[in-house]
Amino acid sequence: MKRFLMTFCLLALVCFTGSTDTRAAAEKAVTVPFELLKSGHMAVEVKVNGKGPYLLIFDTGAPMSLLTNRLAKDAKLSAGKNASAFPGLGRIGETKIDLLEVGEQKAEGINAIIMDHPTVEALGRALGKKLDGIVGFPFFARFKMTLDYQKQTMTLVPSGYKPSDSMNAMTNLMLAGPSKKTLAPAAQWGLLASKEVGDEEDGVDVKSVVPGSAAEAAGLKRGDRLLTLDGRWTDSLADLYEAASFVQPGSTVPIRIKRGDKELTLKVTPKKGL
Amino acid sequence: MRYLRLLPFLGLLALVPVSASDEATQPKESRVHHIPYKLTIPKHIVVRGKINGKGPFNLVLDTGAPALILATNAAKKAGVEPTKRGWATLERFEIEGGLKMPKTPARIETPFQLEGMNGMGLAGMEIHGLLGYQAVAKFRMEIDFTKDKMVWTEIDNYEPVAPKGLGGKGGSGAGGLEMMGSMMKLMGGFLGRRATPEVTLRGFHGMSLVDAGDHPKVEAVLQDGPAAKAGLQAGDVVKKINGRTVTDTGDVLRLARSVAAGRPVKFTIERNNNEQEITVTTGEGI
Repeated sequence: MKRFLMTFCLLALVCFTGSTDTRAAAEKAVTVPFELLKSGHMAVEVKVNGKGPYLLIFDTGAPMSLLTNRLAKDAKLSAGKNASAFPGLGRIGETKIDLLEVGEQKAEGINAIIMDHPTVEALGRALGKKLDGIVGFPFFARFKMTLDYQKQTMTLVPSGYKPSDSMNAMTNLMLAGPSKKTLAPAAQWGLLASKEVGDEEDGVDVKSVVPGSAAEAAGLKRGDRLLTLDGRWTDSLADLYEAASFVQPGSTVPIRIKRGDKELTLKVTPKKGL
Repeated sequence: MRYLRLLPFLGLLALVPVSASDEATQPKESRVHHIPYKLTIPKHIVVRGKINGKGPFNLVLDTGAPALILATNAAKKAGVEPTKRGWATLERFEIEGGLKMPKTPARIETPFQLEGMNGMGLAGMEIHGLLGYQAVAKFRMEIDFTKDKMVWTEIDNYEPVAPKGLGGKGGSGAGGLEMMGSMMKLMGGFLGRRATPEVTLRGFHGMSLVDAGDHPKVEAVLQDGPAAKAGLQAGDVVKKINGRTVTDTGDVLRLARSVAAGRPVKFTIERNNNEQEITVTTGEGI
């Protein structure tokens, strides 16, 4: 086990260097039809470096894109010199797609993994379809997408969002050791909350409201039960801090509170500060 | 052997088929919902749900899953009893953002991807399930990663078709990837990783800031707050935090973000052309 871990850590140090950049995307909204497979999956026609179309699964739950070895060979994609074969998964390697076209929408410089995912194979066999991989986050994150199962279409408009490389993030995480996270509000509210041990009810108690603060100006009072902050549940202190981490200073957002038997909504404009 | 490190990532592809299904639910009147989400470390879209008032549970929005798939431990916590075929109907199911979805069918099982991810603490939060096609198909979903909420619009008169399984017993189609789940769990334990990270809440200063010139300025200090107690005043120019130069409010927030309540932060400020150091011992609150 120790040797295995050592190998893993060393390998993890050989980081992916590929970063993604946004170019060449069609600026206007592009509507792409998808096929709703009997298994409930979305399948889209994809061109890789002008080759294809190939049928791939469109998967919002996939942090990366996957291509089969068959597709890679057909589209003349290199799996890199470090590619190696794994039983049942074929050759595994990483590649960069110069031009990935999903319907009429396109993206350049998309990182992908080449491998034969057994679930993709199994789905293809069961449905009698030739499925050649998965379209994941590195592609779709660049777009504002609207998924409509009824019309069986997705609309993709470039959003300017630049996805970071999830594999780099994972590799760094592996080296970071035990899992820790800091939650910091993005603005200053001026309230102190608490949650008693064993309190399983929704929300947190407002223990105090700082005089002169945004929370006081909004009418929040000590003893209120804070249920949601900008639509996010505040069932624990961690929840509260996380919800507050999304709210930018100067924006006005609703908070839902319970005061006595009544539920009411207050509007708070947190300040720039901490 | 280099690609050994890729193996854990394979477990992150939340692509899950099911073997069988029960009933689908009724569509409702057209409505628009603003659904908060967050991204996991490897970039899954996570929404939160409460089941029978219990939770919240973290669910990956996953068009690669055919239905709502709920981990067995989460189902147990919510008091959900699966049928012999592994399905259940959630009497009360609410998604964060105020979306109520009563009588939602759910598949109760723990896919190996979840076991592996949670075992390795890869997501940065415990993942309790996957929100797939059957549960979300009745919404037109607008997802924009430059916004912190999705917009889901209920579609009238649309009944998602119950997904067809792959056939065969179990029908996981994972082709041996299942072993990844337990392997990653083992490795995760070895590395001291946990599904739910240890959380630090940032300390409260009680000072508002304004960007001005080369350095941010203290706009106001809250009465009896940590900053006021330490002696900071409105108008003080904040030049350094813990010895590091700051040029705007963003710098201050970034440098102070990992400072827990009760911990000190050293401010180098300028007041009346005099530079001085003031140490604020942070308090609790937001």
